[in-house]
Amino acid sequence: MTRIGGFAMINTLDSRALQRTDCYGQRFMKAGDYKYNIVLAHGALISTDRPFVVSVMDTDTKSGMKQHDVQIKSGAGKFQVPNQKLIINVGDMVMWNCSDRDAPPYAVVGDHEFFNRNRLVNESGFSHAFGTAGDFHWVDAHGSGAAGIVRVSDPRCKSEEDIKRWQQRLAKGTLVTISTENVEPAEVEIVTGQTVFFIVTKCKGISITDAQLLNRSTDETGIGKAGSASRQKQPKSDKPREKPKSK
Amino acid sequence: MAEIIAALDEQGANTMLDTVIGAIPAQSKSGSGNLGPFVASYSVVATLTSGDVDLIPPDIIRLVDLRVNWDLDLSFGFDLSSILPDFCLPRVCIPIPCVGDVCTPRICIDWPTISIPVSFGDFVKATGDFRLDISLVGGIWKVQGVIVGIPNLQFGATTALLLAAIGAAVTPILLVIPFIGPFLAIAVNAILLAIGIAGVTGFLGPILTPFISGMKIPIYKQPKLFPILPAESPVDPQVDMTIDLIAAAVAHNGAEDELVLTADVSP
Repeated sequence: MTRIGGFAMINTLDSRALQRTDCYGQRFMKAGDYKYNIVLAHGALISTDRPFVVSVMDTDTKSGMKQHDVQIKSGAGKFQVPNQKLIINVGDMVMWNCSDRDAPPYAVVGDHEFFNRNRLVNESGFSHAFGTAGDFHWVDAHGSGAAGIVRVSDPRCKSEEDIKRWQQRLAKGTLVTISTENVEPAEVEIVTGQTVFFIVTKCKGISITDAQLLNRSTDETGIGKAGSASRQKQPKSDKPREKPKSK
Repeated sequence: MAEIIAALDEQGANTMLDTVIGAIPAQSKSGSGNLGPFVASYSVVATLTSGDVDLIPPDIIRLVDLRVNWDLDLSFGFDLSSILPDFCLPRVCIPIPCVGDVCTPRICIDWPTISIPVSFGDFVKATGDFRLDISLVGGIWKVQGVIVGIPNLQFGATTALLLAAIGAAVTPILLVIPFIGPFLAIAVNAILLAIGIAGVTGFLGPILTPFISGMKIPIYKQPKLFPILPAESPVDPQVDMTIDLIAAAVAHNGAEDELVLTADVSP
């Protein structure tokens, strides 16, 4: 974590405390009003206000999933969204992100299960852009046993062409699918700056949390042996590896 | 005619000034100055080492290669966004089976403000002309060499070495900033280019010059009235001597120049 310039450059991996290069997405499968708030990370139990609402409408037309981006603004410890009421159709996804320089880590919280206690549940997702090289062992802070590793290597840019190639690679994301305790693939390799999508298809509620933040040994992740401290590595393919083992 | 005459040739003056300048305690100062476009705070400690003495009639002691040894701690901070363009992660889309594409928004990152501490030590040489100055203040005769003008400091390789030290200090600080890795070399070069040799010289010059520009070399100090014989008994009291006048000059005597002190004394 880089504590330079306030919260500006925090880049830890923790779905419970979203930061500027994180996105939190939730797909709404049932009609209804879903009230929510955006609060400082770990403040979900304290805040009972629900000033914002996602209003999900039933529709007869069978169109594909539509994504609605919500750009959060922060100031003086509070968060605002452009529209207090967001109207979407059943099956649509809402994606929240706050890229303000001084935004503190935050959580999207609501009264329904999927807005509750910073857990990723069915039809939700979390993306994180990795800003530094190293091996990031992640675990579920809620103890389900789900775990994985993201190996981030430095692109070793030495020329303008290298930087251009690296910037092109940034547009390519890597998908990790989590169903119950199965993580597929459990180990992925990317380069600095690339984004990993953690999509939860079926789960009681987990987090994607750097094992180091929980003072967990990397052995608990069950994958690899390297620590999650930043270590420069040779550029590698961003193809996911085969899953080493099921949890 | 003077009653007391003391003379030192250049070799003797060399030895004396080595001792005198070596006895000047370390001097320190702190403040802030411009390091290229950045404002740096600093603290510096300096000691002096005498150079080669050249006596120049009628009253100049020239010290060639007078050396200032200095240890500098400096720190400067700046907003990285002032030298690096802000960087944006592109919109990233990924196909989710049975669902469709899910995309992140384009996320722009403005770089943080950083602070860079640097410790560095080196020496700088200068040639200074010191004019003999004689004074009687508070009953004390003093002869000292007072520097004439502001000497030109010869930094030589120092500037490049300090720039290298700044580069070495910057690198580990930048390394921990997320997303800067691929731009690391660009960022370091941008900082060093912004400072440049001129920036380092412009920073060091005003800091180090005062250690020499106000310099005074004590050569001789004596109370005007001083005992030459202690009291031996009530009928044999202390005998005092009074220095009525002191003069100092550099004189050319045959093949060499000498530093000459003369004194008129009276009982």
